[in-house]
Amino acid sequence: MRSGSVDALPRPGQTWGGWRRAAGTLWSVLQHDRFAFAGICIYALFVLIALSAPLLTPYDPQQTIMSGDALMANRPPSRAYPLGTTNVGRDIFAQLVYGARPALAVGFVAAFFVALIGTSVGIVAGYYGGWLDAVLMRLADVAFGIPYLPFVIVLIAFLGPSLWNIVLTMALLLWKDTARVVRAQVLTLRERGFVEAARVLGSSPRRLMLVHLAPNVLPIALLYGSLAVGWAILTEASVSFLGFGDPARISWGYMLQDAYISQALSGGAYNWFIPPGVCIMLVVMAGYFISRGYEELLFPRLRRR
Amino acid sequence: MTRSSTRWIAQRLAQMLLVLWVVATLLFLIFRLMPGNPLAAYIDPNFTVDQQQALIHEFGLDLPLWQQYLIFLRASAAGSMGQSFFYHAPVAQLVWEALPNTLILVLGAVIIAFLIGATAGAFLAWKRGTAVETAGISLALAVRAAPEFWVGMILLAVFSFSLRWFPTSGTASPGAQYVSLWQQLTSPDFLRHLALPLVTLVLYLQGLPLLLMRSNMLDVMEEEFIVMARMKGLPEGRILLRHAARNALLPVVTAFALVVGYSLQGYVVVENVFSWPGLGRLLVKAVAAKDYPLAQGAFLLIAALAIFMNLAADLFYTWLDPRVSYAKR
Amino acid sequence: MQKRSVVHGLAFLALGALITFVPILASMGFAAGAPVTATQAQAGRQVRELVLVTWPQAQDPQQYEAARIAAEGMRRLGLRVTVRTMPWEQLADYIWYSRQKWDMTTWQMVGRPERSDPDELLVNLFSSSTAKDGYNFIGFIDPRYDEIAQGQREATDPTTRKKLIVQAQEIIAGAQPYTFLVNPKSIYAFNNQVWDPATIVEQKGIGIKNFWTFDGAAPKGAQKDMVLNAQDPVQAINPLYISGKVDSWITELIWDRLVRIGPDGLPRPWAASAYKWLNPTTIDVTLRPGMRWHDGTPVTADDVIFSFVAPKGGKVPMYRPFVANIADITKLNPTTLRFTLAKPSAAFLTSTLGKINLVPQHVWAPMLQSLEGKKENAESLQEKAPVGSGPFKFAGWTRGQEVVLEANPEHWAAPKLHRWILRTVSNVEAALGGLRNGEINFLSDYLGDPAVLARLSSQDPRITVIASTDIGMQFIAYNERRPPFNDTDFRRALSMVIDRNMIRLVAYKGYGVLADSPVSQALEFWHAPNLPQYAYNVAAARDLLKKAGYEWDPQGHLLYPASQTETLEVAR
Repeated sequence: MRSGSVDALPRPGQTWGGWRRAAGTLWSVLQHDRFAFAGICIYALFVLIALSAPLLTPYDPQQTIMSGDALMANRPPSRAYPLGTTNVGRDIFAQLVYGARPALAVGFVAAFFVALIGTSVGIVAGYYGGWLDAVLMRLADVAFGIPYLPFVIVLIAFLGPSLWNIVLTMALLLWKDTARVVRAQVLTLRERGFVEAARVLGSSPRRLMLVHLAPNVLPIALLYGSLAVGWAILTEASVSFLGFGDPARISWGYMLQDAYISQALSGGAYNWFIPPGVCIMLVVMAGYFISRGYEELLFPRLRRR
Repeated sequence: MTRSSTRWIAQRLAQMLLVLWVVATLLFLIFRLMPGNPLAAYIDPNFTVDQQQALIHEFGLDLPLWQQYLIFLRASAAGSMGQSFFYHAPVAQLVWEALPNTLILVLGAVIIAFLIGATAGAFLAWKRGTAVETAGISLALAVRAAPEFWVGMILLAVFSFSLRWFPTSGTASPGAQYVSLWQQLTSPDFLRHLALPLVTLVLYLQGLPLLLMRSNMLDVMEEEFIVMARMKGLPEGRILLRHAARNALLPVVTAFALVVGYSLQGYVVVENVFSWPGLGRLLVKAVAAKDYPLAQGAFLLIAALAIFMNLAADLFYTWLDPRVSYAKR
Repeated sequence: MQKRSVVHGLAFLALGALITFVPILASMGFAAGAPVTATQAQAGRQVRELVLVTWPQAQDPQQYEAARIAAEGMRRLGLRVTVRTMPWEQLADYIWYSRQKWDMTTWQMVGRPERSDPDELLVNLFSSSTAKDGYNFIGFIDPRYDEIAQGQREATDPTTRKKLIVQAQEIIAGAQPYTFLVNPKSIYAFNNQVWDPATIVEQKGIGIKNFWTFDGAAPKGAQKDMVLNAQDPVQAINPLYISGKVDSWITELIWDRLVRIGPDGLPRPWAASAYKWLNPTTIDVTLRPGMRWHDGTPVTADDVIFSFVAPKGGKVPMYRPFVANIADITKLNPTTLRFTLAKPSAAFLTSTLGKINLVPQHVWAPMLQSLEGKKENAESLQEKAPVGSGPFKFAGWTRGQEVVLEANPEHWAAPKLHRWILRTVSNVEAALGGLRNGEINFLSDYLGDPAVLARLSSQDPRITVIASTDIGMQFIAYNERRPPFNDTDFRRALSMVIDRNMIRLVAYKGYGVLADSPVSQALEFWHAPNLPQYAYNVAAARDLLKKAGYEWDPQGHLLYPASQTETLEVAR
């Protein structure tokens, strides 16, 4: 499998050349692929919303709004409350914009670790081979065999319902796909004499993995990384829905669960139940779009304008 | 099969058992090391200390950890999964009752998802470069990106609460009784109850086969023999169906087993939304109530199924594609 | 050109990461605490950060909301309060088994028909005998209270007993070991086109979901099956096991008892046609003639004796405490039994005769026999087709989905409906939808927003909603083993800064009455009138603390009275 212009055999003396070239190719993908570009735009939009939350709404997401003595519960959308209020009088729009913060934090941090762990394991397994490879791949099998959502629930029961525990659990289980594919890529590179060439030039294993192999698998890491953003956000939403979520943070998953246990749909409060789901959908979709861009990079025959 | 292939299969089987053993041990340790007293779920105002001790003794929790582990191993090897703390019934029985509901829903959903997804994928490959393709891919990804329970709740609200086309919960109408499993599966009442959870899962699972089929079709359509067929003047539809699709289908089919394994793991939320009495709901409740035997039993079963599916996918792919040799892994 | 775009790209990525990660992580609540600038001596006296544990919002939105509002109130006293949530199993474990560790918790006592007599709550919650490992987990010790609680247990004369019960409530109201929040209203609904509303019975403190409704409901039209819902699956159908709350609805219907609690909250004869106290420790019970088990065999006095003797052995742990006080049962003749008690017990009729299920000896004796020498007890037994003598017969159980009972036409109080079908519906919205489209015709388990149900009823005249004040209560409990909760004045001040009316309105949506006693307002006969009310008043609370010697440091934090310092760490 070709990967753009980054598969040139290693040259003596270079350290960052491989990285620079990889970054350049990735950047150009973002510029040229429609889907990836749309994905980045969506991410940028939500990051902006997350950062400017205090500017977008005067209310605190936890605040129960009283008007005089009356509780502003179940208000329909209006100028004062763009998406209405919950059944205990909290502003839904405020919850939505502040909810972008935990969503994005969980998504990006989990994606980062999944990509990091998966890539590292894949490179090490592919490079060293032998028993180390077998052990690591069987470890991946174990990670595959464990039922994902129930395991997350077990660990949360163990460690406590906090967003970071959810991220931890995902990091423990979701690296396997990345590792498998990275390993396959490393094996291919090995076959092409890439590794031999570098060794002949006197690279130490560490330098070889870091400087030569890593940039070549970067697109894969980014592909699965962007997928992982989506998985992470969906996991957090599912875990919250089942009641094991972090009670201290208003996230979109929390909002959905809150609406669910307050019978929002039976009460006709679509303004409460629909928006958080739509936001989750958009952010996860953006991740898929971006990953498609890198997929095109890895399968260049499909790259066509 | 050649001798080397038999050896390879045996090797993979052995590895599979190893993985299963690691998973089982991991689960055992996690449950036992979880902080808190498992009796907390059964606190009653009239429990004296003696009664609490009796309960602990009955659950076998007063034995040292390594002894509990050996008992657990022995029981698992014998096929028994112990007695549920919560239900005071054999775990095997509870799991056996819940399993068919899970399998019907999951297998049904995966099959239909693959049929619809593969067809749609082929269609989108045919419409390469058009607006239809972009819209189609965006739609498939959007549906895939939405939380399952959210989609499920919306379907329930629209088709059940508002339109009243479908029931709101369960696998059967109140008081319904069936003579046999087959009668149940083919009764319209059951199918009506199955419809909405099935659709929810199908919507969620269709993304993968769709995209896979599409990209494989695109690959295949570049292949020389397709170009040859075109040069020969064969009609486009025939090329599509007879030649391209058949070849593109291969990896899609192997992904089938993978997706079954994968969908077994996360569809717990669908069970909750539709009150579907399956394994997922059983498992979540068992974890919450620290019902070790039941949680372990259900967990292990799902894990075994997933691992087995993984192996089956490997075997299937290797068998179908003779280019991949057994030696290279 | 290439180089520049690469540099741009890297710069963008770096900037993006910086912009994305740092503020988001920072805004995730890593607020730096303000440094305390109190004096050295004051620093030692500052009350530590207190922790209020409660249920996660998903599992009990009302308790969670109540905890939040309570914590807000407490902060107005200059306290630092954190609300910590745990899933209920963990919470129960923590409160029950780690009695030295926690500060405060929200808690509830569920209303059950047997609790129509205040004996159980008054004794179990506050008697010093249950402080170590029983229900008095707050560690409330008051010898005078013990005396009065024991006294009411043995006072067979209702007037004397009532006086003692009122006294007990007055002690509790003065000491405020709990801040009582509300007696919630339990809400149920039914389809009035299916069931004749005149035959639906509202039982005091329980609501319309009770034995009398199930036994007496008359179908109006073609639908003769009652279809009810429950959120959790049925755990066991076993007369010798108190399993889930839902399970008890079923055992009440399949098995009869000598006495049942009537709609007025008082015991009335049932399987016993009459009873007479000869003296405070002896009671003669006459059995109703002609009763039969569901397998056709007649109910004999020996069966009844067996039902009360079997729990005395070691194999029926949950019912043993209720028969512990029975010293002897003699069969005077085939229809009369004489119970002799070890100590007088005023609540005997309600708490024992109204609780023990009558089980057939020919079914259970061999089953219990088979458990001899094994470590399992009766709770691990499950009849394939349970046999009782009640107005309903067991017809089927699809685990996790539904339980079906059939009317027993031979019973003297045979039900008018044909089948009683309990569906497990884990999705509350689905339960409401089921009620609307007729899948369910009696909404028996609804823990959602009452306003939604009320609105549903106003839009659909077929649905009748009935809310009744419950015997149960919700409260905040203070662990008296840990200062400052051992100080009565402190606890009373807390009760005055918790806005209970706002909790009632916001957390319970107005569906509840303010509670002021462990005896619910629903139990009009036993509830003490004129108890101190602890209205919300921050100024008065601060005054109270000031008079007790508490002070505030320059930052407004509460300090112990002089000569007392904080000796404990923050609860873990």
